[in-house]
Amino acid sequence: MEPTLTVRELTRRFGRRTALDRVSLEFGTGVTGLLGPNGAGKTTLIRILATTLAPDGGGVRAFGLDPADREQRRALRRRLGYLPQNPGVYAHFTAFELVEYVAILKEMNDRRARHDEVRRVLAEVDLGDRARTKVRRLSGGMRQRLALAQALLGDPDLIVLDEPTVGLDPEQRMRFRALLSRLGESRTVLLSTHQTEDVTTLCGRVVVLKAGSVVFEGGPGELAARAAGRVWLTTAPPAGTYWRTPDGRYRTLGDRPPEAVPGEPGVEDGYLLLLGAEGVPA
Amino acid sequence: MNGWHVPDDLRAAYLDGGLPEAAAMSVEVHVASCQGCQAAFPVQEEWLEESWAAIADVVDRPAPRPLTRGLTALGMPEHVAVFLAATPGLTRSWLLGVAGALGFAVAAAHAADRSMLVFLAVAPVLPLLGIAAAYGARVDALYEVASAAPISGGRVLLLRAMAVLVAALLVTGAATPALPAFTAAWLLPSLALTGAALALGPLLAPHRASALLAAGWLAAVPAGREAVFGAPAQAAYAMALIPFVYLGARRWNRL
Repeated sequence: MEPTLTVRELTRRFGRRTALDRVSLEFGTGVTGLLGPNGAGKTTLIRILATTLAPDGGGVRAFGLDPADREQRRALRRRLGYLPQNPGVYAHFTAFELVEYVAILKEMNDRRARHDEVRRVLAEVDLGDRARTKVRRLSGGMRQRLALAQALLGDPDLIVLDEPTVGLDPEQRMRFRALLSRLGESRTVLLSTHQTEDVTTLCGRVVVLKAGSVVFEGGPGELAARAAGRVWLTTAPPAGTYWRTPDGRYRTLGDRPPEAVPGEPGVEDGYLLLLGAEGVPA
Repeated sequence: MNGWHVPDDLRAAYLDGGLPEAAAMSVEVHVASCQGCQAAFPVQEEWLEESWAAIADVVDRPAPRPLTRGLTALGMPEHVAVFLAATPGLTRSWLLGVAGALGFAVAAAHAADRSMLVFLAVAPVLPLLGIAAAYGARVDALYEVASAAPISGGRVLLLRAMAVLVAALLVTGAATPALPAFTAAWLLPSLALTGAALALGPLLAPHRASALLAAGWLAAVPAGREAVFGAPAQAAYAMALIPFVYLGARRWNRL
């Protein structure tokens, strides 16, 4: 993998709390998923990569550009698409006006070209027929797609998305994954998510953060493989944490309960075991 | 159809633009309904595509906001007008607040035996309130998105502050004839305080810089009209403006 984005010894503190602790990573073309529990440092890392937050230590290089330098940061922002965790909206604007406003911030000054681009990204997220609708009249899922549309303006080389599938229904999530998968063929796409399903279906690579540090880096298959021999199915409720499967059995992780049969390990199993989630042995 | 088609020499003359208007129109009417002649006329695909795209743009795009229309009518570039129309500080509620505060100050000037100190104290603070509401994580819903764009930070603040300042000056200027006596002593302090807010904005955040300056200004006004609004003070405000105007002009040209 030829790295397009490199992070070296990245550290960020908020008061006494260390949100990122000397994180080093490399990203190339393709979709990378960022997993981790709340407070793991995902949003901090995303914001630093999106150039909206400066690190306390370490550095970032994207396409050979150093965002610590003002001019290089501006050059990087021309190649960046960013969807923050809480993107915010101007509710009194129409969908078209909102995206057009961001297009102007992205230096699209020519009116015709800008309008064409706004229409293109609205169509990409299936909001072409809602261009004239006031944002306040859009549903939560539509607003999320609108926020995604602005991140696609200018066909960016680096797309950074913080929990992009929040609020999307299953059909929209499927369309969204298809879109990101297509974008990931030629661009560097980084998305933070709580949905291990996003990672399984979309990401070629996974990074798991815990308490500001990288605890796993590899393919989704490798993460799932960590749970091999530790996933069990029982007919009676076992001790510890378990959940019911559609066929009425009980699924649990860790040591083998009495009379249990092995289950097929998935990304979520590997993730839970990696983090040592409550009731799940690390 | 009567079997007649545009002859080669007539078509060539039409394409050269050499036909009289009536003859050209006759050719166009015929070609519009004759597939055989349509095929004989060359079509510039690129031009046709461009024309349809232009028509689609006009039909599809939402009507510009009234503020955008007004600013473009005044000669402002269209993209700058669209940008400024999104300024949170230029919203109706802020403008109504400015008008209300000025109304109060004018009433105070009439009630206080032609002393216009309240008006002079209030007028320069109004642009500061607008600047506080113009840009920042607390006041701009799109702040995080805008922060990752090539045009962001100080440049956005400056452009929006200019819009807010002009709006505040226009409203204040419109209120001036209602005063018991004419005064423009508020103008230079308004400009100087705005400049100072822009200079301090990137360091303290616009809302903090504006609050600090407004508090300092209101604390200084009781020193007396001559000390705060006299000729030496006005000269000092004018001098303070020079670097702000220079920096402002440079940034304005970059949008």
